[in-house]
Amino acid sequence: MTTYTVYHTVCGIHCMTPGTNDHDMFENLRLELRRGSLVLAVLTALRKEHYGYTLRKTLGEQGMAIDEGTLYPLLRRLESQGLLLSEWREEEKRNKRFYRLSAGGKVILKQLLAEWQSINSSLNGML
Amino acid sequence: MDLVDRYLKTVAKALPEAQREDIIRELSEDIRSEMEDKQSEQGRALTEAEQQALLKQRGNPLLLAAHYHQDDRRVAFGRQLIGPVLFPFYIKVLSFNLGLTFVVIGTIFLALSLSGQRVGFNDIFSTCLLQLFIQLGVVTLIFSLIERHLTKHPDRWNLSGKCGSVQLDIGTGKNVSLPIERSHQISRFESVSIMIASAVALVWMTEVRSYQFLILGPAAAFLKLAPIWYQVYFPIVLLTVMEIVRAVINLVRPDWTLFRAVYGVFVHCGGLAIVYALIRANSWVTATDSAAGGASGYAHAAQTVNQWTYYGLLVTAIFSAVMLIVRVTRLIRQPRRGAASPRVAEQANGN
Repeated sequence: MTTYTVYHTVCGIHCMTPGTNDHDMFENLRLELRRGSLVLAVLTALRKEHYGYTLRKTLGEQGMAIDEGTLYPLLRRLESQGLLLSEWREEEKRNKRFYRLSAGGKVILKQLLAEWQSINSSLNGML
Repeated sequence: MDLVDRYLKTVAKALPEAQREDIIRELSEDIRSEMEDKQSEQGRALTEAEQQALLKQRGNPLLLAAHYHQDDRRVAFGRQLIGPVLFPFYIKVLSFNLGLTFVVIGTIFLALSLSGQRVGFNDIFSTCLLQLFIQLGVVTLIFSLIERHLTKHPDRWNLSGKCGSVQLDIGTGKNVSLPIERSHQISRFESVSIMIASAVALVWMTEVRSYQFLILGPAAAFLKLAPIWYQVYFPIVLLTVMEIVRAVINLVRPDWTLFRAVYGVFVHCGGLAIVYALIRANSWVTATDSAAGGASGYAHAAQTVNQWTYYGLLVTAIFSAVMLIVRVTRLIRQPRRGAASPRVAEQANGN
């Protein structure tokens, strides 16, 4: 019996219980908003080459703190989408994985930044 | 094994296998870079408590590993019972249990068929379906309890790295072996799991005495368990209860690792004694009274099942004896290896 079959045999519909108070609701919405911005922040920061830890530090210093449990899977996803390039290299006697934007990533980043500016100006107009 | 290795090892066992080594290398580098940063800030090596605090900040290893799984599968009936973190383990346990059950059922039916008994499709189907529902119910219940515990107490975890040996290429580019080693703390997660699993086993054993079809399937109509099983029943129950008692004690005192190791050797010896008694019995199933006068085919069926049971017990005895030797050897070596365990700070400073 395959995993797929077992899953479909036992799984029902997943229902999320909504947050019961305003604080929970705000926190969920805030995280959702930040999650969308993180991709943009990571791509922007990777115009310059970084390895994981320095990237995390840079983002934190710019007010976009991100935990490693979110950052590394995100980097992997962006790399598998062809937006990033990575290579293992020795620095200070230690092997580190360096990331940078790919040519495709640069194009996408440009488009995303334009979209971001457009959203930003629209929102500013509404506020 | 240092704290970082134990943490990484716990993360590793929950990671997708194809990317495991790569992810662990990167996480290892991240952790060690952060530790170096802190050491530079403070101008001294980090204490074990400080290292532990840094790792605690990174969160439960299982939750961290879950971020790397691309699927978001879960089990839910209205509300979520088993989330994406535990789902891969749930599927593994369920597949293993069902696989084992179906192998046992298949062996019984094969033995019956070889001994000339008529085996119908309906018999096989109904037996498999019954086992499927029992396993599904029990395993889902256990995992939903664990999920509930994990959700209610996301911060309650320790750096127990107890799992199978994994070869990981960490940071330095050379193979670093993370062998099985007794940790400083016994995971409460493990203690609770053992308590639940042993309690389920107790209920099952009690029911098997009255309803032998739970173990013999449709063959229970003409086969029954031999007297030896009734002789070893209470010793088996006693060992299971002892295991529950041990898990309860370790739930309260997770730091009693030596107690668990010594206790485990005694329980293991008890288990071996039971297997020995079983092997000496020579007969493990007999034809029922109603079947005895019926056909010599039933006696032949019993003989075939007994033959296979003998081989099974023999393999169990050999495997169990080897495991006992490994346990005792580890117990003897434990203090010496613990003293030789290197500090994280020393490793971080450049091996």
